[in-house]
Amino acid sequence: MTSEFQFSLDLPVRNEWRNVELLRTSVENCFQAVFADLDGKTAISMVTGELLENALKYGDWESADASQFRLKVEGDRARAIVTVQNPVKPGDPGLREVLDTVAWIKTFKTPGDAYRARLLEIAQGEGEAASRLGLVRVAYEGNCAVDAQVDGATLTVIARMTLS
Amino acid sequence: MIYRASVDALASGDLRIDVASADGGAVVCTWTGKSNDRSPQLVLGPWFETLLAAKPARIEMHFEKLDHFNSSTITALIRLIQTARAKSVKLAFVYDPNLKWQRLSFDALRVFDKGDHAFELVSAS
Repeated sequence: MTSEFQFSLDLPVRNEWRNVELLRTSVENCFQAVFADLDGKTAISMVTGELLENALKYGDWESADASQFRLKVEGDRARAIVTVQNPVKPGDPGLREVLDTVAWIKTFKTPGDAYRARLLEIAQGEGEAASRLGLVRVAYEGNCAVDAQVDGATLTVIARMTLS
Repeated sequence: MIYRASVDALASGDLRIDVASADGGAVVCTWTGKSNDRSPQLVLGPWFETLLAAKPARIEMHFEKLDHFNSSTITALIRLIQTARAKSVKLAFVYDPNLKWQRLSFDALRVFDKGDHAFELVSAS
């Protein structure tokens, strides 16, 4: 990354739903203060919010160490990386869903194709629990390359975005 | 024909949806604030059902003043599109194309616009 306007946030997060909005708007405001870029701040805050929501929905908040929940946002004028780390239960179906969704996105030519395909899947299904739209939205609306990796009982989801 | 708004405004968390009557039996719903609930379908679903049960000629959902919605809200909106179509209530989503996030979010919903005017996406400018 270039050094011009380089920024970095790295902080532990308590596993409470209200913290999603607190951190989403904090990232938005930080980005606005540095770049005054309306579209960029909206995109990076959306990515932050969706990844945090994903962690709260699919993380292991009973048996694992909740202090493993962390948000990291770094970048410069041209690109940003949003990383969310959270505890998971190895073998948990929710963890499998996250990994499968990340792999599924990559089977499409563009994130937009994946997003539209997911919208149609949701329309054909019922209930909300398994919409799994958040990560696909990060890829499409956030213009991000999304990766996920598991290390023991910790899941790390990384969204790399190019800022216009 | 003027639709008599028989549905109350919705206020839930950071979200507010105001309801107003319009010409031709239409109802106009204006979203403001943020829709960031963990399970927005639990609140929006019953509210949408009440709205549809009043059988307006057309529902216009205005999102231009909305600051943010999460992906679970998009899922709830897809459910609304499906339900409105099943109940033969015309539905339109009005968005601000000058806001990139709204342009991207709503453009993608064109997959549900089948050209039959049951569901329309309307750019506000």
